[in-house]
Amino acid sequence: MSGKPNDFSPKILAFLCNWCSYAGADLAGVSRMQYPSNIRVIRFMCTGRIDPIFIIKALTNGVDGVLIAGCHPGECHYGKGNLYTRRRVLMTKKLLECIGIEPERLHLAWVAASEGPKFAEVVKDFTEQTKNLGPNPLAVLTKQERTVL
Amino acid sequence: MENNLYLAWSPDATIQGMGSSGGAVTALLRCALENQMVDAVLAVKKRNNSRFDAVPTLITDPELVHETAGAMHFAPLNMVKIIKEYLDGAMDMRVAVTCKPCDARAFIELAKRNQVRRENLFLVGLNCSGTYLPTVAEQMIREAFGENPQDLAGEEVDEGKLIITLKDGSTKEKDLEELVRQGYEMRENCLRCSYKVPRMADIACGKWGNNGKSATFIEICSPKGHEFLDAAAQNGALVMEPATNEQIEKRKQKETEAVENAQAREKQEIEAFKRYSSEERLKYWLGHLSRCIKCFGCRDACPICFCKECYLEPYRGCIPGGETPPDIMFQLIRLSHVADSCVNCGQCQDACPMEIPLTRLYSVLNSELADIFDYKPGVDIDQPPPLTTVTEQELSIDAPDIIGENSSDR
Repeated sequence: MSGKPNDFSPKILAFLCNWCSYAGADLAGVSRMQYPSNIRVIRFMCTGRIDPIFIIKALTNGVDGVLIAGCHPGECHYGKGNLYTRRRVLMTKKLLECIGIEPERLHLAWVAASEGPKFAEVVKDFTEQTKNLGPNPLAVLTKQERTVL
Repeated sequence: MENNLYLAWSPDATIQGMGSSGGAVTALLRCALENQMVDAVLAVKKRNNSRFDAVPTLITDPELVHETAGAMHFAPLNMVKIIKEYLDGAMDMRVAVTCKPCDARAFIELAKRNQVRRENLFLVGLNCSGTYLPTVAEQMIREAFGENPQDLAGEEVDEGKLIITLKDGSTKEKDLEELVRQGYEMRENCLRCSYKVPRMADIACGKWGNNGKSATFIEICSPKGHEFLDAAAQNGALVMEPATNEQIEKRKQKETEAVENAQAREKQEIEAFKRYSSEERLKYWLGHLSRCIKCFGCRDACPICFCKECYLEPYRGCIPGGETPPDIMFQLIRLSHVADSCVNCGQCQDACPMEIPLTRLYSVLNSELADIFDYKPGVDIDQPPPLTTVTEQELSIDAPDIIGENSSDR
């Protein structure tokens, strides 16, 4: 690992809602907005599909941050999917805190299809935040090291 | 206001002799079965007459109810899994079940998820001031009390003391704190449990407030409780008298004391946990979880776990098969599934052959979530589980980290 924290380039997994944030990301792209290229996007039909297990699995497998972006409350394509997500994310953050992974590694944001600049902003801020947190503590431990602790 | 606090005892001298406080519960169960108010009774009886080995037993013959008489503090079982797993969630039979507060709460949680049919269950709640693991108890009787465990005829926890009765009728008592100093502690989850009187059941029975009388103090908590007790009184199976103010006060005082102790303990544990840095926590949990031998004991013992297609099975593709210790996802999946509804019954920790302190993890998370969601698992059957419900008001809250007044701490 590098000694200077700022050399660290986090690996971030982004779960985006098909109806809003994915389109928002698209808009940011076609508008040629610049944002850090640290995110890998997985498209979901609704953020309500995101099981807390997906988030935890991603983090235990070594990504440095998980970004979830969905529709604003009241604008979900399916009614209330994003509201369930909000509750699950609250729960998952506490869960991560309990076992010793910084809850700041998980971030939920609302990005509508028209909010290209906001998407770029969210990604920029979250990348910065994750960079400051440093590498995921689980990513630096090999399986062997985990078991002998 | 209708009176719902009574002292009750069995007029039958034999039943009275067998039960711990006047045999009221035994008489009530027997009467319910005799009058076909229930199809069966699920209770706990001793195996080979050992007070350290309890087996759950389904009784349909009223003559056999007496086998389950008497309280058992040294053999903690959970009745919920049995109803759910082997009796089809009581979907088509009416069962009277004796339950500790944690059993009663687990029943409520499962009923919310349509896994048991609450209408078919008559929950006979038993006050509980804590239980011991059989192995700890046996050693304690042998070493701290200096008695042969097989001579034990009864035990009770009262006023900070553990009082044991031997077969020859003599009693011995020891201060609980003194026992803790010698290394004999109650189950960890019991120490922090602040549900001492199961008001979520149909009736809550106990000896607090009987003021030395051979009778059971019963608090009736539902219309069903009234119905069953009225029937028992009419049939002459139970003698009931309204509790006096003095008795009510005494009971209240004992309950408050026990609850305060438990809350203090819980607070102390959580504060100790919060002092750890996140690195220390991770190290602590990785250390414990790496001992897991993937026996599935915690899952199988958990009264709340009910998925038919379990994520922990290798074919679900989340946890690879044939590996020990399993990926830490194994425990984290379980944690995320029961996070909002854990009733702190301690069955997972009891079942764990590697002695991983699972309830510590669950209870810390659970107490944090209780504040965020304003939800206490297993208390109110009309309050839906927080992760599978949303309210209309939430549609108009825009912040991604707030769902109501209590959740704004992060």
